[in-house]
Amino acid sequence: MQYNVTVIGSGPGGYVAAIRCAQLGFKTAIVEKYNTLGGTCLNVGCIPSKALLDSSEHFINAKEHFKEHGIDIPDPKLNLTQMIKRKTDVVKANVDGIAFLMKKNKIDVHTGVGSFVDKNTIKITSGDGKEKTITTEKVIIATGSKPTPLPFAPFDKKRIISSTEALELKELPKHLIVIGGGVIGMELGSVFARIGSKVTVVEFLDSLIPTMDGTMGKELLKVAKKMGIECFLSHKVTAVENKGKEVIIKAETKDGKNTIELKGDYCLVSIGRRPYTDGLGLDKIGVETEKGQIAVDDHLKTKVDNVYAIGDVVRGAMLAHKAEEEGVFVAEQLAGQKPHVHYLLIPGVVYTWPEVASVGYTEEQLKEQGKAYKVGNFPYKALGRARASMDTDGLVKILADKQTDEILGVHIIGARAADMIAAGVTAMEFRASAEDVARMSHAHPTYMEAVKEACLAATANRPIHL
Amino acid sequence: MAIQIKVPAVGESISEVTIANWLKKDGDAVKLDEVIAELESDKATFELTAPSAGVLKILKPQGSTVPIGELICEVEPSTQAAAPASQPTNSKPAASSSPAAPPKASGGVKEMKVPAVGESITEVTISTWLKKDGDFVTLDEIIAEVESDKATFELPAEATGILRIVAKEKQTLPIGGLICKIEITEGAPQTPGAAPATQKAEANVSNDKSYAAGHPSPAAAKILSEKGISSGQVPGTGIGGRITKEDAQKVQSQPAKPAENKAAAPPSTPPVIASGGGRNVRSEKMTSLRKTIAKRLVAVKNETAMLTTFNEVDMKPVMDLRSKYKDQFKEKYGVGLGFMSFFTKAVCAALREFPAVNASLDGDEIVYHDYCDVSIAVSTPRGLVVPVIRNAESLTFNQIESEVVRLATKGRDGKLSIEEMTGGTFSITNGGVFGSMLSTPIINPPQSAILGMHNIVERPVVKNGEVVVRPIMYVALSYDHRIVDGRESVSFLVRVKEMLEDPGRLILGV
Repeated sequence: MQYNVTVIGSGPGGYVAAIRCAQLGFKTAIVEKYNTLGGTCLNVGCIPSKALLDSSEHFINAKEHFKEHGIDIPDPKLNLTQMIKRKTDVVKANVDGIAFLMKKNKIDVHTGVGSFVDKNTIKITSGDGKEKTITTEKVIIATGSKPTPLPFAPFDKKRIISSTEALELKELPKHLIVIGGGVIGMELGSVFARIGSKVTVVEFLDSLIPTMDGTMGKELLKVAKKMGIECFLSHKVTAVENKGKEVIIKAETKDGKNTIELKGDYCLVSIGRRPYTDGLGLDKIGVETEKGQIAVDDHLKTKVDNVYAIGDVVRGAMLAHKAEEEGVFVAEQLAGQKPHVHYLLIPGVVYTWPEVASVGYTEEQLKEQGKAYKVGNFPYKALGRARASMDTDGLVKILADKQTDEILGVHIIGARAADMIAAGVTAMEFRASAEDVARMSHAHPTYMEAVKEACLAATANRPIHL
Repeated sequence: MAIQIKVPAVGESISEVTIANWLKKDGDAVKLDEVIAELESDKATFELTAPSAGVLKILKPQGSTVPIGELICEVEPSTQAAAPASQPTNSKPAASSSPAAPPKASGGVKEMKVPAVGESITEVTISTWLKKDGDFVTLDEIIAEVESDKATFELPAEATGILRIVAKEKQTLPIGGLICKIEITEGAPQTPGAAPATQKAEANVSNDKSYAAGHPSPAAAKILSEKGISSGQVPGTGIGGRITKEDAQKVQSQPAKPAENKAAAPPSTPPVIASGGGRNVRSEKMTSLRKTIAKRLVAVKNETAMLTTFNEVDMKPVMDLRSKYKDQFKEKYGVGLGFMSFFTKAVCAALREFPAVNASLDGDEIVYHDYCDVSIAVSTPRGLVVPVIRNAESLTFNQIESEVVRLATKGRDGKLSIEEMTGGTFSITNGGVFGSMLSTPIINPPQSAILGMHNIVERPVVKNGEVVVRPIMYVALSYDHRIVDGRESVSFLVRVKEMLEDPGRLILGV
């Protein structure tokens, strides 16, 4: 078959790129190794973890909060099998949706491992070893990433597990030890903590979710402690050992003075993800990689003229929505358009409860740049809506330019943060000042009022409800 | 009274300019010395500044070509008019408190007098008033018919505002006599109900110059990129001067990008990579730069006796010297050692020996120059420009290289001034950068010669009876045979060749 564009990988970057290409009139193919479309995000990432997060939230509400709301029920019991089954159903509905979208847009789906024969020819090897080749004018590589193992303790998928296995556990861990207090570790850690596991987090750096604004990490630590999650910050894991029924983790402080030994039944290693390019045959056509990432220019073009790469395999944050933007960007470029991706304004989100979301610069980054800035904070505690729902953990933090009042960063930890951050992105895309947002009417009672109040605090330290 | 702004005399040979861009809109409040428009001549782009604070009235639209001295806009210096712009918040309550108020007079009054309609005509009669006293009239609207003893003509309004009739129908007036007055308003239509809304809109627009002025919305940014326009060239009408999607859609794409435009896929055609042979035809108005180029090139062909002589240069010695010292040179002077400095030095030395090549014709006189101002041709997105390296004969290699870089950069950014592009005595053009093997350059008048450089290609040449491979550049000298003899032109080119093939001669002057 002859195509205008072939996309390798059907995750949120790949399938979005394919749909946009098809919309623009290209004859498009998509190559996917697995039998279901959607990649990590839909199958073993965002969607299933959010499904479980929500289930666990319902569970904790029934167990701990209903009583206060005036709902008396017998002690709820966990049905993990059902919880996992519902998650699997959610995933299935979503991946079927992608298959439908491919059909609707007349995109040919080729199942199998795609690899380059030359820069215009892709060989697809299916699970049963059958091979076929297709030719294509342009290629978009969107093969995503895989969990990074510890160098001294590879995943055995029984006791030492990655996020993929954590989403499929058959039993409730008694004690889950999470190595890495980043986004994935905190999300899954909080799921299991809420449905009854003891959870311990060991983090190498001195803050949880260390890539985000420091205030967010501090607040999340408070919430984690409330939930009963024990956190060891600034600890380096030195050994992980599968003892059959249990797993033993040794860690020490950076100076080596303090060592700890933790015993649990499962160890979730969530220290990051690495770009996945295995089997693509990049060297055959001269596509270069740097530390595993495919090297691309500002147009996301690789060293080979007709080959582009997007999402987790290239530089930048490993986020589904970043990959989507890049997919659209490349597709539109191929059609002669000149789109933009504004990387600073790609929001970061952590789906713990409460959620954490941010966009723009962190306070640490502004300090480093030597920028004169102002801070406006507003706690959820002071918000009527949050009190009504008993979701009073969290705050909104607005960073604004000291001279111009332009918003430079929006950081939210609290209920609905992930949805609220979209307003921050809009404001920053239009370069709104803190006062601009403070002067816009926000519906009452809503969580978004906290953003307005934080903007009032940032612009002239004059919040109304504080 | 309104201050009339005419196209300034921007340079000697420039007779007309094109209004490239109005940076302010009609009715905008402008400040003293604020840049209100960009004018483009065939040689450079200028900024037009406001001679006074006040309200701008645009008389010539963007894209129009106007001769030097012609009126293009007026600034009404009125304190009342400037007030709403500087205090937008204050004007709003005032407007809403008296919603039925007529459009606010700017305070200016335009007195319309009988124009000089013909040589022998001394007086005219108002035959008919087409508008009534107190009517709202817009600029250029016909307000009356006027009769002279020879013809009837129409009288257009010279301003937008409220008409106050002075001369009655059938009244006879001398040339220069007062016909009527127009109380200038801020362009608001007279419908009383609409007044507050318009004023509010204006308050928004004039709320300009925030830190975000000129910041395009995401959709606007994409549209501008596709049109090849930088956001700095677009006046934003959004809050704080932001560029809205509509602003981006309205602005016209850059006219003067002939080469690139053709190469880029026409955005209107269906965006399919493998499209079959399209047969699109496109017409574009010539820019004034292009028109001038066309006119002058034909003139050179017609008015001079142009001939071209050729030679070849073995570039090995220069290339050896360059590769030996280029790192040291770069380190010491912060500029790369290119071929331009060698050619310029060689040309200057040869020009001293053959002054006719460095001369120009002025009527019946031959003007000899004791200095070498070398024009270098630089290709820019807007077309070819020819900035001048002054007194190139007295510059060192590094000074020449720095000057070339400076002028080429300015040329590409469209920042060259007229002074920087006029008065060269000899030109060098390098078609080699585009891969030209051999071509005949055309003289840059009033100069009498131009040297064409070409690409360097390894060719078999015979040295001392043996065929060897050498990097060869063909060079061409086009000259005006009216003042340069064949002997001079050929010897000049041979001299340039000798000095390049043995750069030691450049030092010793032999």
